[in-house]
Amino acid sequence: MNFSVTVQQESFDIGQLQQQLTGERTDIGAIAAFTGRVRDFSERPDILAMTLEHYPGMTESSLRAVLAEACERWSISAGCIVHRVGRLQPGDDIVAVVIASAHRQAAFEACAYSMDHLKTRAPFWKKEHTRSGDYWVSERASDNEALQRWRSDERIDR
Amino acid sequence: MTLTHLDERGQASMVDVHGKDETRREAVASGWIRMQPDTLKLLVDDSMPKGDVLATARIAGIQAAKRTHELIPLCHALMLSKVSVDFEFDHRLPGVRVRSFCRLAGRTGVEMEALTAASVACLTLYDMCKAVDRGMVIGGVQLESKSGGRSGEWHREDAGVEAVEHGPADDEAAVHSSGLSSDQITVRFFAELRESLGMESLTVPLAELADSRLSTLRASLLQRVQSGELLEQPRILCAVNHEVVQGDITLSPGDEIAFFPPVTGG
Repeated sequence: MNFSVTVQQESFDIGQLQQQLTGERTDIGAIAAFTGRVRDFSERPDILAMTLEHYPGMTESSLRAVLAEACERWSISAGCIVHRVGRLQPGDDIVAVVIASAHRQAAFEACAYSMDHLKTRAPFWKKEHTRSGDYWVSERASDNEALQRWRSDERIDR
Repeated sequence: MTLTHLDERGQASMVDVHGKDETRREAVASGWIRMQPDTLKLLVDDSMPKGDVLATARIAGIQAAKRTHELIPLCHALMLSKVSVDFEFDHRLPGVRVRSFCRLAGRTGVEMEALTAASVACLTLYDMCKAVDRGMVIGGVQLESKSGGRSGEWHREDAGVEAVEHGPADDEAAVHSSGLSSDQITVRFFAELRESLGMESLTVPLAELADSRLSTLRASLLQRVQSGELLEQPRILCAVNHEVVQGDITLSPGDEIAFFPPVTGG
């Protein structure tokens, strides 16, 4: 099995990540890939740049925990999370979550689950740089609400 | 004291759990694998030939916990609600310490699942590293604590169990410390909180606190850190050794405590 998490400053290539995930395997029938990007508007318009901070060690372990939970809930063959830190510009990629499975439903759901939990648990913080100054992004209630649909101890085996 | 897995004739018998109340059951187990310092370095640098060793061992431990009933004859199949496996590099061992946690709402305990997770995580670490080090030793697999059920709470330290030899440590202190030699704990601040406090981290000798509870540390930070009251805002989160903690816990030498605002990644 191939599960990995990476926190890096460099950009990533989603095609390459998929390639690494599947390799020569032929038992993978579906790959769901999510890419999060820097928008030029947020709580304020005119975002010039963003700086992402993280907690080395805890960030990686919480991302691994999220992947492990997804692996526990769905039958997935491989998965990776790549999250960037440092200064990013609007249009830059921030995060990739790529999940491979034999079937699409598990890949879709495990990918969404991983992203929803990454958002609320992995210690990353965004500081936005705008024309009117720099400010730390505050958490969104909608991110916590997104977790509701996963609130079940039932394991879903597909 | 009776062994519930034996019937009147002393023969093995699966316990009928029907009728026992469902309670929240939790168990923590640990173990270690000792290796050459060079092997540990490869592991820390993430440059093992087989790839991401810890991620693989974690998944293996989790999968193993779920399949404990297939391995241990008289264990019930359980719907675990949570399994986690964590690793800590210990340069004094030298090697990796494994800690597993299992939880479910059910009628039987989850000690065997936690012990199986720790064991299989160690075995997987061996498998992933054996190409470079065949002489690794696995040891110290033990239950640390359990809660829930008829027998209630159990903690290794409360049970008067002698601390088990944790590998060939040179001095006694190393056996009990979790990697740091002194009795200090490290406190770290992140993001907006770090900027507001104008401080990234500080160390606090445990001996300077009235006791080693997190709440005692928090109270002392109010004095030690300018604008320390910012730490008491309800939105501020606290993590001990990389795990978010709610409520009070007992701290140990070498622990790393972090305070930070809600996370905003992704």
